[in-house]
Amino acid sequence: MATKTVEFNIGQSREMGVGGSGAPSPLAPFDIPEPKLGTEQMLINIGPQHPATHGVLRLVCELDGETVTSVVPHIGYLHSSFEKLGEYRTWNQIVPLTDRMDYLAPLIYNCAYVMSVEKLMGIEVTERCKIVRVILMELDRIFGHLLWLGTTAIDVGAFTPFLYSFQQREKIYTLHEALTGARITTSATRVGGMMADLPEGWLDQLLEFLDNFPKTLEEVHHLLTGNQIHIGRTQGVGVISAEDAINYGFTGPNLRATGVPYDVRKDRPYYDYETYEFQVPVGEHGDCYDRYLCRMEEMEQSVSIIRQAMARLPDGPINVDDPNISLPSKTDAMSDMESMIHHFKLITDGIPAPEGDCYMAIEASKGELGMYVVAEEGDTKPVRWRVRPPSFVNLSVIPKLAEGHMVSDLIMINASLDIVLGEIDR
Amino acid sequence: MADEQKSGLDAVDEGPIGSDAREATQRTFSGDPSEHPTIAALLERFGDEVQGHRVAAGDQWVAWLAPTRSHEILDWLKNDPDHAYDMMSDVTGIDYGAGRPVEVVYQMFSTAHSRALRLRCPVPLDAMEIDSVCDLWKSADWLEREVFDLFGVTFKGHPDLRRILMPDDYAEGHPLRKDFPLRGRFSRAEQTRRALEQDVERFYLADDLQAGAPQEMDASAVGAIADGETEATPAQSREDD
Amino acid sequence: MGLSDKLPRGGAAPTEGGMFGAGSPTFLTSKVDALINWGRLNSLWPMPFGTACCAIEMMASAASNYDLARFGMERMSFSPRQADVLICAGRVPYKLAPVLRRIWDQMPQPKWSISMGACASSGGVFDVYSMVQGIDTIIPVDVYIPGCPPRPEGLIYGLMMIQEKIRQESLSKHFEHRAEDPLLVARPRANAAEVVGLTGPFGNSTQQEQISTGQLVAPATTDDSLT
Repeated sequence: MATKTVEFNIGQSREMGVGGSGAPSPLAPFDIPEPKLGTEQMLINIGPQHPATHGVLRLVCELDGETVTSVVPHIGYLHSSFEKLGEYRTWNQIVPLTDRMDYLAPLIYNCAYVMSVEKLMGIEVTERCKIVRVILMELDRIFGHLLWLGTTAIDVGAFTPFLYSFQQREKIYTLHEALTGARITTSATRVGGMMADLPEGWLDQLLEFLDNFPKTLEEVHHLLTGNQIHIGRTQGVGVISAEDAINYGFTGPNLRATGVPYDVRKDRPYYDYETYEFQVPVGEHGDCYDRYLCRMEEMEQSVSIIRQAMARLPDGPINVDDPNISLPSKTDAMSDMESMIHHFKLITDGIPAPEGDCYMAIEASKGELGMYVVAEEGDTKPVRWRVRPPSFVNLSVIPKLAEGHMVSDLIMINASLDIVLGEIDR
Repeated sequence: MADEQKSGLDAVDEGPIGSDAREATQRTFSGDPSEHPTIAALLERFGDEVQGHRVAAGDQWVAWLAPTRSHEILDWLKNDPDHAYDMMSDVTGIDYGAGRPVEVVYQMFSTAHSRALRLRCPVPLDAMEIDSVCDLWKSADWLEREVFDLFGVTFKGHPDLRRILMPDDYAEGHPLRKDFPLRGRFSRAEQTRRALEQDVERFYLADDLQAGAPQEMDASAVGAIADGETEATPAQSREDD
Repeated sequence: MGLSDKLPRGGAAPTEGGMFGAGSPTFLTSKVDALINWGRLNSLWPMPFGTACCAIEMMASAASNYDLARFGMERMSFSPRQADVLICAGRVPYKLAPVLRRIWDQMPQPKWSISMGACASSGGVFDVYSMVQGIDTIIPVDVYIPGCPPRPEGLIYGLMMIQEKIRQESLSKHFEHRAEDPLLVARPRANAAEVVGLTGPFGNSTQQEQISTGQLVAPATTDDSLT
């Protein structure tokens, strides 16, 4: 995509009239001073209620003409105190909170949370459960990227990709609903397993989605990837170098767009990700366009991972076979005395945890998502439940990225970071 | 069910099952410092500062550090080529309550050595401050602000230490401390009244940032909290509408 | 043929074909109320005050599968000055409360509001220090949509209830319906006693409240863990 640059230099046009020799033109015998445009700093407040801030982010910009000289992001307009609330809830009661945090890719959060608790407790989930979770996490990576694609395209003035991506999202909504009964707030996981096994025919639906989805992706590629307007708005905008990106804490597609192939799935593998064949797409320039390409490619890789996972999905139980962790089936709890006692103990007391702490990092759709749980001996509730939100750290870079750009580019930069305020403010 | 699916998946690349890699991830540690080069080096170099270390959750190395020289140690961990923890993933706090010190937790990762480390610095309740590492890792900027906001730990040398999630004039204290009630200290009516009294046009700019200046707080409210007044007390006196 | 034969041939020239054929009347009689309400309810411009999960469902209802445009509401008015109905979709913390109030105050009459989802209506699961326990303490609410989040059908049904409400309004009661105390601008809708009454803990949050204020010792925080 070679872009042609045309330079307009108004200051030289005077000499150009006489062949550009540089000699004083007879047409302009007097040395006319160049007009000085008086500019003054202007303040622009964007948000917290603004369609282009993707939530309730507030950006206070200082402008010189139309150039942004400094941006100060103000956050906290969606602070819902998840972490405090988590300290009053048992391990399994926290799961419904996690999907309200990143509502763009809820299943990733469900899985990440229970993975950290399981690791703290030393629970090894079943093989089927692992692979089901991989499928769900990759499905929601697509889910999250699709929303990003739609809303970002709106920000550069293209409405059609929004409709395309929501059409595909509706298919994933249907899959969520078949699995969990809810469209967004899935709460599908439990410590030691899943809320329920995959329903009958779910994999066929998923396969149908996987067959159709790449076609939509192809269409969006036609709409955006070679689109001169899109390229003009994104190439060379919001550039950051690889060293800076690491130092500023970038993770996920934003970091990979700068050329650093850091992916938690490859560098700190969990759930046997090292045995799946997939590429980690990296960019080279670290601008908005590379971030866009990285995400588009990631969706394709996710499709491939889901197909591999489906091929190796074994039969068998989905929950661990330990009555102190997994709830017995409803039939057992109603007919078998022992199951009833376990059911009662699990619901009233919860699962006791060993003393210790555990930081579980996974690759969410927005970057490295860390779930950090701390417990004392025998605790059925966390002493501290901390979420390392990827987009919180990604957003903190925006003053650096936006400096010197136009206001309209600031909107594009903000969109390209793929933030979700529910997770930033928690 | 799996077999039925396979028949429809001719194009599926099943991918190799690497047995070596799988064993590597399930490696367990006994807790001996020689198993983690950084812990061994830390003990050797800063033995007095390291208050303890252990393996958590099977393969995660944790070291407890005294907060006095934390900046020096973290600087060394970042810049020493043998360790090179170039990624500061997370800075957070833990409050156990019951008079135990608040701990500041650093989650670090070295992309060069592919090695993770967690440092925990207990900060005594009567002197809640620790050196900022914002100059080493820019990512610590907002994370430290969040710890300040929610736990009340002051980071010395932070360029812009002020509340980040709660409003600037939030007067009820630091929410994630264990002595903070879940629904806040004030009554709901008082909270609503205070919320609507906020100036929505209030903002601050990059020029306003003063290096190391502590964030200002409503003096009367600070006094009220320090005196141990809980909930409803300030509310009842100010319910006027 | 048909209707035109039965209608009396009036002043209209036979060559000018009306809606019902040549010679039919070119006017309709109606009540002013009905006409104005018809116009209002079929071109509602929503002001999407979307904050969290519900905002995603609001976007889904604007997308092609649910197509809010069928009801004349495809024109999302991001400026409150041109909006008719405020859709508060998602949780509202205290930090955002003055913003919500200001946007409501900026909307011109006639205006309606929808509280979408459990969090906006009552605080939902977030009975915590930072959250407004129901936006009806801040602004008046016409329709509450339950759900966490409500499905797009739920939102559309809520909007249709607003339409139903408009259909029954009358200009003669304009001042009654549209009255708003100017002193209440930028102030909470509910007074202190009302706020306390509306936001009292219930259900599971009663227990949480007792644990957090020390009235009930949680099973998790036994003496061993505290020492």
